[in-house]
Amino acid sequence: MEMILKGRPIVPGAASGTALVSTKPLSFLGGVDPKTGIIIERDHDLYGRSIKGFILCFPHGHGSTVGSYVLYSLAKNGLAPKAIVNMLSDPVVVVGAIIANIPMVDKIDITQIKTGDVVEVNGSLGIVKVFRR
Amino acid sequence: MYLSREEERIYNGDFGWAYEISMKILVKLGDLYGAERLIPIESAHVSGVSYKTIGNAPIEFLEALVASNGRVKVDSTINPSSIDFEDPSFNLLPGELIEKQKRIIDLYSALGIEPTLTCTPYYIRQIRTGSHVSWAESSAVIYANSILGAWTNREGGPSALASALIGKTPDYGLHRPENRRASVLVKVEADILSESDYGSLGIYLGKVLGDSIPVIQGKIVREECFLKQMGAAMATSGMVSMFYLNGLDGVSQIEEKITVDNRDIRRSYEELSSAFEKPDLIFIGCPHCSLEEIKSISSLLYGRRIKEDIKLWVCTPRFIRSRAYDCVKVIEASGGRVISDTCAVVTWLRELGVETLVTNSAKTAYYAPLMSNVKAILLPLKKCIEVALREV
Repeated sequence: MEMILKGRPIVPGAASGTALVSTKPLSFLGGVDPKTGIIIERDHDLYGRSIKGFILCFPHGHGSTVGSYVLYSLAKNGLAPKAIVNMLSDPVVVVGAIIANIPMVDKIDITQIKTGDVVEVNGSLGIVKVFRR
Repeated sequence: MYLSREEERIYNGDFGWAYEISMKILVKLGDLYGAERLIPIESAHVSGVSYKTIGNAPIEFLEALVASNGRVKVDSTINPSSIDFEDPSFNLLPGELIEKQKRIIDLYSALGIEPTLTCTPYYIRQIRTGSHVSWAESSAVIYANSILGAWTNREGGPSALASALIGKTPDYGLHRPENRRASVLVKVEADILSESDYGSLGIYLGKVLGDSIPVIQGKIVREECFLKQMGAAMATSGMVSMFYLNGLDGVSQIEEKITVDNRDIRRSYEELSSAFEKPDLIFIGCPHCSLEEIKSISSLLYGRRIKEDIKLWVCTPRFIRSRAYDCVKVIEASGGRVISDTCAVVTWLRELGVETLVTNSAKTAYYAPLMSNVKAILLPLKKCIEVALREV
């Protein structure tokens, strides 16, 4: 099955990989360990999961604006997600994706995507393709 | 978004990566929030300095900006750090924390930012009414828009830093007159008499206002430190970035009316006071104290001694501290400390032996339990000082 979702281009670039999907907003500062890429926000539905190399799908960011720098550090340490897909982007994640050079699309109904789906993200066109076995 | 030829060259990296990435941040935010162009700013105030609050997060990015020769284009200041390097109380902290904090300050300085290390940059440099600025630090943002008559969005650390390097900000949000109109009328029927009453009111209002702009009418006194406390509190519990007082400026679009009475203020106090234990720390200076506040604290303490087992911290910009020499002497002779470059919200309270604090700042009473796992009691300044002085 193949599904094409049209959203808004945020950060250009293309990536494909496995989706990791959350229903909860994510705070990068204090929520993701920049040394391991593991989600450490205790009541988060992805608590304990590494975001490294996934197409990370979540509603939007929250928390400190310094969270943007965590995305930069993750990218520098090879622990960043391959792409970010949001329902509605917020400045913390947008700025983080720009400085970390992570392709990003928003205005996507992420409830259409399941963890484990193979996903292609085109951040220049704002398109997300979902392949499900 | 329209870019001038020079802005386009910056965007394309002709002037190096630091400016390219900063321009990309500003242009993307401008595109997302509907700006048509960039406008020049007169100053930037950058948050993201305390190693306690942010850890290593900004270090690698700041290093990269410094390595590609980024320098700020406008007067730029930074928020408090986690340590007053000149106060011996902080020597208790592990050397690694001290080194990391120094490193962060050095990196900001290398970008040409003045290491002011305060949340009240407006006490250091005057700012023109009507000027556009790009400030992070929510308490300074609401102060700038409401009291100084400057125009700024509620920036985050990274976007304020990008604006500092470019000297411009995207023209959206509170930079546009049509977005600076009040939509909520607040009638204050409560008797609010002290800065902590105003802070309690601010916490209450922040919760109900979200990001709306209120006109506040009723029993309001235009006392600078009262309004500073009220604004800081509104920006803490809510996303409020601006308020109007009494007058009719901007009242054209009122959609909602709110009345605040004594019960609302009392309930707000109760929510902000999580302890009845004996405090270890009396903390005054969130937001950092003005010269006038330092003077009133020193007159309350003149010739008195505070208890042996209680610490008193008065936090103020180093610039103000240096101009308040006599008051500093009085406060320190009483056993208190006049501290700069940090505050109780962004330092390592538990590591410094604090479990319960008393403060006149509603913002601190709101944040300290969340950020430092200490208990807090909110009282007006005079009562805070009485607690410090009272005999057991």
